[in-house]
Amino acid sequence: MWRFLAESGAVFAKDLRTEFRTRVALNALGLFAVTTLAAVSYTIGPYRIAENDRPFLLAALLWIVIFFAAMAGLDRTFVKEEDTHTAPLLRLSADPLVVWAGKLLFNFVLLGVLIAILVPLYMVLMGFRVDSTAGFLLVLGAGGYTLAVTTTMVAAIIARAMSRGALFSVLSLPLLLPLLIFLIQGTRAAVEGSAEGVSEALRAVVSLGGVMTVVSVVLFPVVWNE
Amino acid sequence: MSRPSPLGTVLRWGLFAWMSLVIWAAFFYAPAAAGFQGQSSRIVFFHVPTAWVATLAFLVSCIASIRYLRSRDPKEDIRASAASALGLTFAILATVTGSIFARIMWGSYWNWDPRETSITFLLLIYAAYFALRAAIADPERRATMSAVYAILAFVTVPFLVFVVPRIYWSLHPDTIINTQGRIKMDSRMFQVLMGSLFGFTGLFSWLYSLECRVEGIRRRRQHEVL
Repeated sequence: MWRFLAESGAVFAKDLRTEFRTRVALNALGLFAVTTLAAVSYTIGPYRIAENDRPFLLAALLWIVIFFAAMAGLDRTFVKEEDTHTAPLLRLSADPLVVWAGKLLFNFVLLGVLIAILVPLYMVLMGFRVDSTAGFLLVLGAGGYTLAVTTTMVAAIIARAMSRGALFSVLSLPLLLPLLIFLIQGTRAAVEGSAEGVSEALRAVVSLGGVMTVVSVVLFPVVWNE
Repeated sequence: MSRPSPLGTVLRWGLFAWMSLVIWAAFFYAPAAAGFQGQSSRIVFFHVPTAWVATLAFLVSCIASIRYLRSRDPKEDIRASAASALGLTFAILATVTGSIFARIMWGSYWNWDPRETSITFLLLIYAAYFALRAAIADPERRATMSAVYAILAFVTVPFLVFVVPRIYWSLHPDTIINTQGRIKMDSRMFQVLMGSLFGFTGLFSWLYSLECRVEGIRRRRQHEVL
């Protein structure tokens, strides 16, 4: 177990180091998110939404910005291995599940950084207020993990295909749409301070994340060794 | 050229007679349901079976994909692809019939009701599956990656069918198997609906076997040309 964690940590550290050399994924995610947020803030702003519609519409806009930013950079972790021809070496030196865990951790941390920058900005620019902070943080954490686990698996698939960039969004979004609905409902409930609503949405998000984790553990070695 | 088997001929004519009977019964034997505009409820005899076949096709595609990953037999890939193609067709038919019903009952063809949302996701997933197949040139890799995607997509179906409609309020009439576990339907309507479900399942089986044979011939021809 400790060996598995140490090896996954090594894959994660390697990805982090190579990412900081080029910052491709970080720049793509960050700039996409900030540009979209600027467009949303400029066209809609904090006061153009009626008071009653604010919890739902602001929650929906927040998650749409996060999802589309994720589509811009979360495939890099596998695509860069194929582009730089380092994937065969990684296949030889590490167990598939170790690679999966390291890449998943990298995507989760990348999303965490994105959310940590984006959400406070969104709150300031859109006048977004949350009644249940703990509920909101739980929704962000569970949502970020489920988003990362699903996109990691899809990134592994598309890394071996043609026209990868477009294909990543095309394959990921249909799988992520149920998650988007649950997260919007959970965030709306957190804005309104409804513990019951947050708990209902969290149950759905955690179940989806759990199912995706189990399926990924079973299927990733097949994709990676193909 | 091989001649069709006598049993196959009998079954095809039997299916033709059965479907003709279902169409007649849908209009002349079953009564119009109370609480619905005019004769609009009769669409249930075609809408529910097409939605059922779309879901069944998804299940068949998922099973064939699992079998492909275990055996690496190209026939299983043909089965998965054929089931998905038919699933996409029947999902479009379910969307169109549902949309016509929505126009009559609620005044608009589309209003993002949870059931409409679920079928849209199903359509997007099927479309993404074929986008992935088109993006991988190597047949073995294409079969493996699309099998993995079909399984990943299948695990999201219970969330679409059971969880999303619970989170959103729906205009959709109670499904046949409702939360109380009771069947709320006139007995003659129920008989026709069951007959239609049986007929559509038979139609799917026939089209599926045809599609598998056609795809098998197409691949053999491609192989000969190459």
